[in-house]
This record gives sequence, C-alpha cells and structure tokens, in this order.
Amino acid sequence: MDHFPTNWGRPRNDAYDAYGTYPIAQRPYNGPKDAFAQGIQHTQQPIVTGTSVLALKYKDGVMLAADNLASYGSLARFKDIQRLQAIGAHTVIGAGGDMSDFQYIQAMLDELIIDEFTAQDGHTLGPAEIHEYLAQVMYARRSKMNPLWNAILVGGVKDGKRFLSFVDLLGTTYSASTLATGYGAHIALPLLRTAVEGKEDILNEEEAHKILEQSMKVLYYRDARSIDKYQVATITAEGVSISETRHLETSWSFAEGIRGYGAQTQ
Amino acid sequence: MPSIEQPQQRQFNPYSENGGTILAIAGADFSVIAGDTRQSEGYSIQTRYAPKVFRLTDRAVLAVNGFAADGNMFVKKVRQRLEWYRHAHAKDMPLRAIARLIQTMLYARRFFPFYVYNILGGIEEDGTGAVYSFDPVGSYEREACRAAGAAQSLVQPFLDNQIYFKNQLPAPGTSHPAHLPLSTVLSLVIDSFTSATERHIEVGDGLEIYIVFSKGSTSLQGLASVRGLQEVTTTDDGERVFVIRRELKKD
Amino acid sequence: MTSIGTGYDLSASTYSPDGRIFQVEYANKAVENSGTAIGLRVKDGIVLAVEKLVHSKLLVPGVNRRIQTIDRHIGLATAGLLADGRHLSNRARDEAANYRDQYRQPPPLKSVADRLGLYIQAYTLYSSVRPFGISTILGAVDKDGPALYVVEPSGVFFGYNGAAVGKGRQLAKTELEKLKLSELSTREAVIEAARIIYLVHDDAKEKDFELEITWIGDETGGLHLPVPKDLQAEAEAAAKAALETFE
Repeated sequence: MDHFPTNWGRPRNDAYDAYGTYPIAQRPYNGPKDAFAQGIQHTQQPIVTGTSVLALKYKDGVMLAADNLASYGSLARFKDIQRLQAIGAHTVIGAGGDMSDFQYIQAMLDELIIDEFTAQDGHTLGPAEIHEYLAQVMYARRSKMNPLWNAILVGGVKDGKRFLSFVDLLGTTYSASTLATGYGAHIALPLLRTAVEGKEDILNEEEAHKILEQSMKVLYYRDARSIDKYQVATITAEGVSISETRHLETSWSFAEGIRGYGAQTQ
Repeated sequence: MPSIEQPQQRQFNPYSENGGTILAIAGADFSVIAGDTRQSEGYSIQTRYAPKVFRLTDRAVLAVNGFAADGNMFVKKVRQRLEWYRHAHAKDMPLRAIARLIQTMLYARRFFPFYVYNILGGIEEDGTGAVYSFDPVGSYEREACRAAGAAQSLVQPFLDNQIYFKNQLPAPGTSHPAHLPLSTVLSLVIDSFTSATERHIEVGDGLEIYIVFSKGSTSLQGLASVRGLQEVTTTDDGERVFVIRRELKKD
Repeated sequence: MTSIGTGYDLSASTYSPDGRIFQVEYANKAVENSGTAIGLRVKDGIVLAVEKLVHSKLLVPGVNRRIQTIDRHIGLATAGLLADGRHLSNRARDEAANYRDQYRQPPPLKSVADRLGLYIQAYTLYSSVRPFGISTILGAVDKDGPALYVVEPSGVFFGYNGAAVGKGRQLAKTELEKLKLSELSTREAVIEAARIIYLVHDDAKEKDFELEITWIGDETGGLHLPVPKDLQAEAEAAAKAALETFE
C-alpha cells in the first residue's frame, strides 16, 4: 500500500516514457539488478525420470496408461509413483521425463483449476484448454532455454467430444487417435495403431484396456527402465477415473532355454 | 604430439525437425498453396494429420515448415498482428504488406530464429495471384512458384521445368504460356506430392491444398470437376478460398 | 445509537480520550446496516446463508453473489460494503494460493483467517486509508474437521459454532443458540439456516430478498458449493411454513 503520490508511476524510464503512459508490464525496469543472474545455469538433463505413457481413443472416451516407476538413471528408485493425474472433471495428463518438473506442472495446473472453480461461473476447463495452456508454458520455457523436461499426453472428454494430444519439452504438439511417449513411441505405437486405427468408435472399454495391457507387457519386456506395475486412466462423458495399480503377467522362463545363460556351461 | 580434446558438454537443443513439404504456385487470378499432413521426428511418425497450411484472411494463406512448434507459434503471432491491423485500419492487410510484416517478425528473432520456412500465397491488391517465400530470418522474394521442406530438392526442379519451362523449348512458332490454368496447376501439385512421397520418407499420409481466387476470377470454372471441395471463405469481399484434401501413401 | 466522537473520529490514526478508534466503530455500523449473513458449524460440515436484499426488480436472480469460494473447500460470506467483500475475497484467494504454493497442502481455515485478520488490521493504522466496512464469515472443512471464523473490521477474529452478522444478527443469534449444532447434519442445517434467514427478514422495512445458501461437507465431497436447487426449494418451503406458525 503506497501512500505517497510521488512514488506513483515509478519506476519509469524518462528516456522513453516520461509520464508512465503505457502498461506496467512493458515499462523498462530501473530497479536494482541481480548481478548473480548472469551466472545462473539451467537444467540440461533430467534426473529422476519416468518412461513411456500410452493413450488411445475408444468408443466411450479416452484411455491412458503409465507404469509406476521413477528411475534415477539406471536405478529403479521410486516404484510406487503415480504418473497419471486427473485435472478437473474432464481431463487426465500423463507425463514421462523429469519427475520434479512434472510435480511443478501438477501444482501449476492445480492452481489453474482452483481459479476456475472459485469463479463459480458455470464454465470448466476442458482437455483442449489444458493442452493449449501447457503447450504455451512448455514453449515459453524452451524459448528461455530453461525447459520443463517432460513429454506429456493430455486426454479427456468434454461436451461429448474426445480429445487426445501430445506436448513436450520443446513445445511440439500433435494429435492422433493413438499416442505414446518415449520408448512407447517406437515399440508400442505400431501395436496401438494396428489395433485402434479405424476402430475408434467401435472398441469398448474392455477391449481398449486389453490393447493397452498388451503394449505395456511388450514395453516391460523391452524397455530397461520400466516395471511391471501400472495404472490405467479412463475418461468418459461420466467423468474421470484412475485405476488401482495393476500387475503385468509376464513370463521370463525362456531365459532357461538359452545356452550360456547364467550358471549354464553348455 | 598427443591430441588435446576440448572439454565436452551436453546442451539442451531448443530445435527439432518435423519433416514435411510445402508448395505454392501463383496463377493469373488464383494462387495454390499446398502441404502434406505428416509430422515426423527422426524415423518416427508423430501424427498422420498435422496441418501446415493456414488461412490468414480471404486473400492470404500461409504455409509453414521446419520446426513445428515454432511454425505453429509463428502462425499464432501473425494472426494476432493481422487482427491488430484490422482494428487499427478497418480493413484486411494487403498481401504484400503481410509479406513485409513476416520479414520484420522473423528478423526480430535474428539471434534466436523461428526455425521455419514460410511460403505466403494469395491475391495481391491488383487481383493477381502471388507467392512470397521466406528463409528463417526473413529474407523474401515474390515468385511464381516455390517448394520448401524435406522434399524441396525433389519438387523445385520439377516445378522449374513445368512452370518456368526451363530446359524446354516451345514448339516452333509458339511461346510458353505466361500463366497456367487451374486444372494444370492442381495436377502439378498432386503429382509433385505423390512423387515426393514415393522417394522421401518424411513425406506422405495426406495432402491439403488451399486455393485462393481473386474477385470475379474466371478460373473458378476449373473447380467444377474437383471432388471433395470445401469452401472456407468468411467475408463477402469477393475473394474466395477453398480446401481440397487428398490421401497420400502412408508408408 | 452509540455516541458520535466529535473531533476524534476524523481518521483511523486518532484515538479518542477513552481509548476508542471511532473510524473502526463506524465501519461496524456499515456492517450492521447490511443484509444478514449467518454461518453454522455442524457435525459433518458447514452451512453459510445470506439474506440478499434485492433493491430492484430489474436485477437478474441468482447473480451478484455474496458468498464467494476460496480455494476448493472454503466459503466466505460478507455483510457490509459488498465491494469491500469482493476485494477481500480476492485477497483470501491469493493467501490460499500462497499457502498451497509454500506447503503443497490445502490451507487450513485457521491460517487463512489469521492472514485475513492481519490484512484487515493493517487498514486500521493509517489516516490515508479507511478500514474495511465488512464482517466476514469464513467456513471450511479442512483436515481438522469443520471450522467457522468471523473477521471483524477491526481485524479481530474468533472461531464459532454458529455466527451471525448484519441487520438481523440479534434475532439470528438467539435462534442459533437454541439449536444443538454439534448434532445436526449439514442437510438439517440447511433447513435451519433457511428458516432463520426468513425469520430475520423484516418485510416491513425491505420488500424483496433472495436466499443465497451454500454448504461444505460429506455430501459435497469437501467442496464449497451452492446447495442443490431441490434442497434449496425444500428449505425455502419449510421456512415459509415455519413463518406461518410463528406468526
């Protein structure tokens, strides 16, 4: 609370704008400068990371899947992490990449949803709005050379329309009926595309889950930074639900048949 | 002497290449601007449908290619500037002014560029079809035709031969036409993309062609036989914009 | 009503000889002249209700809310200068967001009430600003259960089981004291709150009023929401019936 009229309109730069005529956000800053700012370095590598996130559109809505692991390099450090998050009543986001940046994004979106809720004006933020907001934030951070090191899938249903899109640390966005991040894009996406493309309006919830489960199994076999515990998020016109942790039934007994494996000599 | 290596450091690369190809050809009273719809990164296809060609006004269409995040953001910024112009001047920005605007917007980021190759197509104030092409830092020129993007090296030579009639002699007693009719131009565009799709891995999936016609254009008759035509004109000023979508091979 | 402080009442930075700050007391007058607001803290939640005096038939019903939502689980009802109430709601939202930013937890009502008390008190220190002309009823269900606070123009605040501010507060308080608040459910409390508001509304002095009523509890999943239309209709019908028997 500034009681002194001689302070109003300052700081201003008398060289360009002697009377403080244009909006504050654009006025040149004349205050003390942070000498340390020069030496600040920004994140160049992710530290605690999550791997793939998968998603598909099906008859009643959108389904996402992600495992429960946060790795510390090659160490499987945190094995009970939830990488799928409900945002409002219409959207779920799933993130791979740096988990601390994801926690920051979760807090940021939470604040956004609360602001929307307190307005109590009958409007709610849907998946398209959340995706656009995230894309703007991610692009702005990359343009400051200080990225949020994530690859995020945004899925949801609002007003009967299904939505599924991707955004990453560069601000690159794209949309399709099947999406995957990280290793999932190389290993799982061909499976998802074959199973889903053309059948988006036919597949029911059980079939959609089976397709995702199959892809998660393949990823557990082939991605060295994955585990066999995962969750599935389902969004329909009725709302959002994130499942309990499920276990993947996989078989590793083939290893015994490989000659030279383990204690076998011939 | 043992070699001394420089200390190595990894740094975040703010750019990426998303493949794809765009193309624009100017006619006497129309302009055609096309782009494939595949977005890729390395050997992966990110999506089979990501539009690269955008309607700015009923007279101007912008195609962007290179780094998709920069491309999409650049289109947003150009659209914002066009809206401010509309409020300030009570009319749409003329095409050559939009071209100059794009130059200044690109050059303003000379030291952290938008990694986008822009092609602006549309109708000039004098009713002629125009194509303007830009480099990522704003160097630009008006041309009769231009291809940009992954398959530029495949498509541009084809256009040089078919539109500028380079390395071709006209039949004795005739001369090359100054402008080509719409049906010929559309065939050239479709053939350019189907051929590029055959030989370039980053091109394929789908093709989106925008056609802009000047007021009272006679070339509109050429559209009668085209299937799947969709009009996207929004004003009554006389210029008209249409979109044609075609499939391309998905491999 | 109370005495006029001649000469000692021109600025909030002046004490009177008997140790009163008249500007703050005058601010309380602004509250007393406004439509009644009440809050109930019951077994499993909170109910807030406001007698929204309607000064023109041209006003759209259901807008011009006097009960605002702060964060997800806090309701803020004001009596007094309504513009001051909106300003305070914005400040409360910022304080709640700041708490969340620092602690990554939903803010307990005690913290929000404390911060608002400090904020309101700051406006009683200077001659260059005027004190807030509002009393604020804050209700929430946080990790310690249901909580209800009232912040007055002086910046002082207390926790209550039942609270009333505004014109009809005397009658409302009497009615609230009769209730066994700790045994009521939120649904029952909604009926009671509507009844009390209808009771304190003086038909002779003002013509129309709208009942604005919100709740937080198990039935809302911990969110601060307006009472559902059917429950509100039921409460208003019961309130009107109770008025008949009262007269």
